[in-house]
Amino acid sequence: MRGFADARNPTDAVPAPMPGPRLLPRLNGAGRWLPAGLGFVLPLLALMFVAFNLPMLGMLGRSVALPDFSFAHYAELIQSDIYVKVILSTVQIALIATLVCALLGYPLAYWMRGLSPGAQLAALAMIVIPFWVSVLIRTYAWIILLGNAGILNGTLRMLGLVDEPVLFLYNRVGVTIGIVNVLLPFLVLPLFASMVRLDERLLQAARSLGASEATAFWRVFFPLTVPALAAGSLLVFIMTLGFYVTPMILGGGRVPMLVNMLDLLVNGMPDWNLAAAISVFLLAVTLVLYALSRRLTGRATG
Amino acid sequence: MRHATTLATFPYLAGTARALEAVPGAASEIRILAAGGQSGESIQQGYINPFTARTGIKVVREDITSTPLGKLRAMVESGRIDAVLLEIGGAGLAQAVALNLVQPLRWNEVEPAPMFPEARHSHGLGYQYYSLAPTWRSDAKAIADWRDFWDVQKFPGRRSLPDVPYLSLPIALLADGVAPQDLYPIDLNRAFASLARIKSHVAVWWASGAQAPQLMADNEVQYAAAFSGRVVGNPRYGTTFNQALLNLSYLVIPRGAADNHRIAANRLLREFTLPQNQAEAAKVVAYTGNSPALDELLPKDRLHQFPTTRENRARQVLPNDAYWQANALSVEKRWQQFKLGL
Repeated sequence: MRGFADARNPTDAVPAPMPGPRLLPRLNGAGRWLPAGLGFVLPLLALMFVAFNLPMLGMLGRSVALPDFSFAHYAELIQSDIYVKVILSTVQIALIATLVCALLGYPLAYWMRGLSPGAQLAALAMIVIPFWVSVLIRTYAWIILLGNAGILNGTLRMLGLVDEPVLFLYNRVGVTIGIVNVLLPFLVLPLFASMVRLDERLLQAARSLGASEATAFWRVFFPLTVPALAAGSLLVFIMTLGFYVTPMILGGGRVPMLVNMLDLLVNGMPDWNLAAAISVFLLAVTLVLYALSRRLTGRATG
Repeated sequence: MRHATTLATFPYLAGTARALEAVPGAASEIRILAAGGQSGESIQQGYINPFTARTGIKVVREDITSTPLGKLRAMVESGRIDAVLLEIGGAGLAQAVALNLVQPLRWNEVEPAPMFPEARHSHGLGYQYYSLAPTWRSDAKAIADWRDFWDVQKFPGRRSLPDVPYLSLPIALLADGVAPQDLYPIDLNRAFASLARIKSHVAVWWASGAQAPQLMADNEVQYAAAFSGRVVGNPRYGTTFNQALLNLSYLVIPRGAADNHRIAANRLLREFTLPQNQAEAAKVVAYTGNSPALDELLPKDRLHQFPTTRENRARQVLPNDAYWQANALSVEKRWQQFKLGL
């Protein structure tokens, strides 16, 4: 087999090992089969392997250990209505948050596209700067804004629009607002990038062929931005699945999400095998969605 | 025992320029993982400082989350015992014993001063009593007990209860008229039926003790089950020890801890039984220690604020940790089902 491969692709042949230790891989010539600069990333790779990949393998092992090999934890996960319900609730919130992000983010990106370069920079800064504020602080800030004695309810009451304070917090509304606030940039930035790259002449061509502004948008512009919109939405969806702090603070214990359940199983019970099974499930869902998002992104940029 | 009495009589002996007390075979530095905030500060002032002054043994104190079982399990399973003492609640202690994560305490090495019986557990030293009490915003109508807490007609307003079945189920039964001595074993059907009546009025199921007073301060809720030390003496809140749940926080030694660390830890544990130390700790936070002789050392004008004074203790209910050890997991599932409305 080896000889056959060598014969077909002689230039890809594996070089004979060099005598003595070699600290850095050769970057060209016969060493081409090694990625350039591998030596520089080796420490990081080793760290990732020890600190991340190995424990993850351990987690995989735990999820099928009772301690003997068994799928009992997965069976419990599927058969118990609590875990299924928490998973469904998490998916539901992720869908809502994604939809809200898309509905808010798309017009925002579209509006930014039409701005002058200077104004675009200012708009981008306003979207990116909140990134530098801790998620915890941003989440607590919503309590000050949206609480019963908060700024928004105070204003609504002052204007005479409501008699009783509106319950924004400690329900799904509050959790969704918190999540959208954190994740909106993840949708807006790639979407904006794809819109800016879009060739303006396509729209001009559509208009010159008699399409109205609306027709040109819906039949030319929008379809071309769908891949970026879908990729950004998937990213938001995946990240929502892993949210912990926001539902913890803004959910009031009434909005169950998967990672909060994991916290209980890991630290409270502590039932690590079941927690491992749920983590593996979450990882599998995320990987499938990530693969999907990669395909979409590939299409968006390719 | 004799030794402990000597120290109790001269509590700050070593604080003066006397020779340090030798603790044969003890490590020169140990670590303790305990609650942070005022409670952690009370451990520092009340117990660690006198201990270090007497023995010269350094103690590194670190904060821990409210559910340290995961951390404890990780330490024991990896064989790396970072800390020789760990603070844990009663239900957590029961689970830790069931999972074989903690070692039996060698009470003959601890040589404790006289303690309340429930504080002297085979695997843990109960060091701090704290109450979960019916509490209200001072501008809301005062309630007398959990029965009033449940009476939303007479006492209108939103409620907050702990997202912890260990705490909320006994409250629900007391509110439903179950006598304290009949609480255990928990009648789950009755408890959840009682909770179902209050559920729509519970705006927040709180996850950490700090939330309850904050929610009342923000006027998110008007009534809450709150830990007494966070609300007593604060004019913004009213609170009562009637039907309050008297909880006990334990210190445990993880299985596999090194001998020299255990010896030092046992000597530190003795400090936790001395009433003079407990009186110092109670100056920092309004929770009290395990000594029946503590009442006399507490400030007379604040006596009503402490969980274990003779008068307050009699009005409260202690948990049955053996019940929770056997049932924690199944009850937790039913609790989640209840909250999710299954």
